[in-house]
Amino acid sequence: MATTTYLSNPDVTVNSIALTDQCTAATINRTFEALENTAFGDTSRKYTAGLQVLEVTLTLYMSYAATETYATLNALVGTTTNISIKPSSAALSATNPEFVITGAYLETLPVVSATMGELSTIDITFTGGTYAAVTAGP
Amino acid sequence: MSKYTIVSPRVGTPGDEFDLDLAVKRGANVEALLAGGFIKVSAPKPAKNAKKDIDTNEE
Repeated sequence: MATTTYLSNPDVTVNSIALTDQCTAATINRTFEALENTAFGDTSRKYTAGLQVLEVTLTLYMSYAATETYATLNALVGTTTNISIKPSSAALSATNPEFVITGAYLETLPVVSATMGELSTIDITFTGGTYAAVTAGP
Repeated sequence: MSKYTIVSPRVGTPGDEFDLDLAVKRGANVEALLAGGFIKVSAPKPAKNAKKDIDTNEE
């Protein structure tokens, strides 16, 4: 049995705009490109870290009301911004760090995503930028 | 200097001054915040001794 678990309920901010109440899923992936450095004499392939690639995926309820999802994202397509995700709304700490991506690029915004009989949701992906895990306020 | 004010509670307390320097430092896209109506900018007040432009064209 797991000794410590975590019920997902993160704080989500995009471009300094709180979107927690519109968000149902959030993922940050940190990847370091694997560069092969295998050489003669090795008996198995070896790799070393290359450039870091960041990818943030959010699932949001779509709303066209003032200062909601569409208003937040419409002017961000094709630009870079900051994203912050904290595991819970509790104060910053070593056990509740805020993951901050600065300079994340939004390539695509699905301006309409509608299915009959369902609440409209969109999946958006930010790529690139720089990463920091903040454990204390400024 | 222009003053930036918070409009939407998603950004902070409406009516409070928006800290532009901090937002830029944190990588926020200020143009998108303005375009989305989350903050507003007020033009700087002219100095008291500034001359007014008077249209003298009487046509």
